[in-house]
Amino acid sequence: MSRQVKFIAACGAGVNSSHQIKDAVEAEMRKRGYNVKVDAYMIKDVNEDLLSKYDGYLTIAKTDLSFTPKIPLIDAGPILYRIPAMAKPVYDNVEKVVKEIN
Amino acid sequence: MSINSLFSPESVFVSEKTSSEAIFKEVSNKLFDEKCVKEAFFSEILKREKLYPTGIDTSPISENLPNIAVPHTEGEFVTTRLIVPVALKTPVCFKNMIAPDQDLQVKFLFMILNNDPEGQANILAQIMDFLRLTPVSKLQKLFNFTSTDKIYQFMSENFKK
Repeated sequence: MSRQVKFIAACGAGVNSSHQIKDAVEAEMRKRGYNVKVDAYMIKDVNEDLLSKYDGYLTIAKTDLSFTPKIPLIDAGPILYRIPAMAKPVYDNVEKVVKEIN
Repeated sequence: MSINSLFSPESVFVSEKTSSEAIFKEVSNKLFDEKCVKEAFFSEILKREKLYPTGIDTSPISENLPNIAVPHTEGEFVTTRLIVPVALKTPVCFKNMIAPDQDLQVKFLFMILNNDPEGQANILAQIMDFLRLTPVSKLQKLFNFTSTDKIYQFMSENFKK
């Protein structure tokens, strides 16, 4: 049985964008047959220690972190448009990370 | 939840201000009077927009739409769930949410007040669906309205849940 793959999504307020990405990625990965969980955070709460608990970081904007994340970063901003053709490459990148883990 | 409950006829604006700060001040004062936001809302929304801007380049939806922005704060600074439309008489510069180094001329704001992010459907997703699914010719009308009544009526009739 493959293990659950965990991603973090973060935005300024931790309310709108990150939740939208969480919902979209979880739903699409379920559809593709994977067990994926996304947690939504405020960017100010993202640090090295927090990221070490996750398999990948879904970013909305290019944010300057004070450290270099060791987990894959995936630019998930295009998902916000809810246009399937824009979202597909993001989902494909998420799937690639999930496949490498399982 | 009914469709109309995401909009309030008192919380619709047509602003003549020419900077994001002046717009936020005008809108925050009125929303505070209406008890929709807490006192810190103005400084929070200003700070948040600087750190994590919310301009959205609408060109992937249509080349014929003006850009929008969706300013918002953390849930703790508001007391309700509401979309606050703000038509700008003069386009104002915002930074792009997904590419913060890029300037966007913005003509219309959908400010999001959301004290319950886990609650129901995601408000930002609903706004993006509204932009994507409403015919461009209709949206152009909305973005050029100069009456708050007309904007409220339009949103009530066209914003689908």
